[in-house]
Amino acid sequence: MAAGDVHRAGVPAARPTTAVNLDRFIAERQARWADLEAAIKTARRGRLRTQSARDIERFGLLLRQTSSDLAIARRDHPDAPITEYLNTLCARAHPLLYRGTPRRAGSIGRFFATALPRSFRAAWPYITASLVLMLIGFVAGWIAVDVRPDLRSSLVPPSLFDEMARGQISTGVQDAPFAAAFIIQNNIRVALICFAGGVFLGIPTAFVLLSNGWMLGTVAAAVRLGGYDVQFWSLIAPHGVLELSVIVISGGTGLMLGGAILRPGQLRRGAALAHVAVRAVMLVLGAASLLVIAGTLEAFVSPSGLPDGAKLAIGAVVGVLLYSWLVLAGRNPHRRRSFAFDRPAETPA
Amino acid sequence: MTQLDTISVKTSDNVTLGYTVAGVGSRIVAQILDNCVAIPLTVVAVLFAGALASVFVTSSEGADFANAASGIFAFFVYFGYFLVAEAVTAGKTPGKSAMGLRVIRVDGSAVDFGAVAVRNVIRVIDFSVVLVGLVVMFFQPQTRRLGDLAAGTVVIRDRTLITLAAATSPPPIILRTPDAGPGIDGIERLGRFERDALRVFLARPGLSPQLRASLSADIAKRLIERLALPADAPERRWPPEMFIERAYLQLDQRLQ
Repeated sequence: MAAGDVHRAGVPAARPTTAVNLDRFIAERQARWADLEAAIKTARRGRLRTQSARDIERFGLLLRQTSSDLAIARRDHPDAPITEYLNTLCARAHPLLYRGTPRRAGSIGRFFATALPRSFRAAWPYITASLVLMLIGFVAGWIAVDVRPDLRSSLVPPSLFDEMARGQISTGVQDAPFAAAFIIQNNIRVALICFAGGVFLGIPTAFVLLSNGWMLGTVAAAVRLGGYDVQFWSLIAPHGVLELSVIVISGGTGLMLGGAILRPGQLRRGAALAHVAVRAVMLVLGAASLLVIAGTLEAFVSPSGLPDGAKLAIGAVVGVLLYSWLVLAGRNPHRRRSFAFDRPAETPA
Repeated sequence: MTQLDTISVKTSDNVTLGYTVAGVGSRIVAQILDNCVAIPLTVVAVLFAGALASVFVTSSEGADFANAASGIFAFFVYFGYFLVAEAVTAGKTPGKSAMGLRVIRVDGSAVDFGAVAVRNVIRVIDFSVVLVGLVVMFFQPQTRRLGDLAAGTVVIRDRTLITLAAATSPPPIILRTPDAGPGIDGIERLGRFERDALRVFLARPGLSPQLRASLSADIAKRLIERLALPADAPERRWPPEMFIERAYLQLDQRLQ
């Protein structure tokens, strides 16, 4: 249906220069306002999804007509109650019709196949910065233990050394599913806080990264002094590769938010933050879902009785798989040498 | 449209829509109402998970993990409630719905999953120790919390305050004159403002005849001053009610 048909049928020729008589204005057009009001009521859960294409088309037409009535009412009768009524009506109808691009079925598969690796690569400066922060914490922790070896016992429980000396850490946690549930949820929470901390310029994010690096550094230095390097790293490796990567990525998303506030570029700070956050949240949610795998490995594989070499190998394999996916997946072979400005917009899913 | 408690959105048809921003009070009430759903839901979920754990746990170490896990599980159920409720209903949790509130994006469009995810992940920060979100809402002119700022969303009043029937102003009551009468000198000095004012007066229901007459005399006197009618003008001898009715009818004709 062309817009012109309805225009001719419903609206008398507009008189652009003279004001419209209020009574006639209302009398002539109130039928369509009532129609629009009825159409708003048929929306379910804030959506028009259940309606036929024809109804949605009609809804759009009614909304456009009513919003042009609103413009006329604003000009001619700015203080009349009808103007406020029309504004409220349009304001209610507008978000029903206008929304972001809808998520299509199967988009979760596409999200992990292309969108997530792409947004990982697009965020590399922030993820690198996040990695650097964690490394700073790690090195600082290492040096601290080197300078004050007497702190070793307060950092690593002596019982752990005894177990390592006996050649095995533990024969697997009993009730590993509960351990996994705890580990997974706790790590996801840390990842989300890393992201959310971005709204405070990324300062809480940096703190989480530094303290995680510090903990790892002090413990690693302490076990090195004790001479149990292999046992320690084989205990960490199966899950640690994945877990630390996800924390670094989450930290990167937090730093992205902080960066958007500090350097908004051409946008206003609020707009820059919103622009970045909606893309970054997809990266952090996708990365956090990997923690399910990491937590399962941590509860079932890391403390198991597998030989150290096998555990280290599992860690290496997980690392290779993770980074070949993040670095290689979703590349467009036809656009090898694209410039930054003609790269397609990163749309998560 | 430049008031602090409204946001204006320019539609694709270049018409400006004004949205009334929800106040801090109504948002707190909506939050309390949502808590009435979310907290029992969290308790039930944690009790259920605890019952499940107690069946399967076989060691004290496992019980420790189960306890720790249920603590964090509560966190996810509580914040997950808001995330799911907003994602499913496009911005109206039950509490917001009861208060007639709704989350939209600042460009007036409906929230999508990305925006809902951002504002609900950052809810964790907004609810942290000092209720940062509340403080930010107090000082932010559009009462947005940190999550709203990061997601580019705003909470607005969605309830219709005014119905079509109420907005349709009643027709003016013309009692004293059969028609617009002879043209009033200098009527062109009056404009739409006077026409609307006369209309409001003439459409007013339930005025007693005495009150209507005395108010009419007052209004007519001012109109005559505004018209700068000469002392011997015939209009000065019209009864005041007839004078303002004729003035209204003539203005209405002229301004159409």
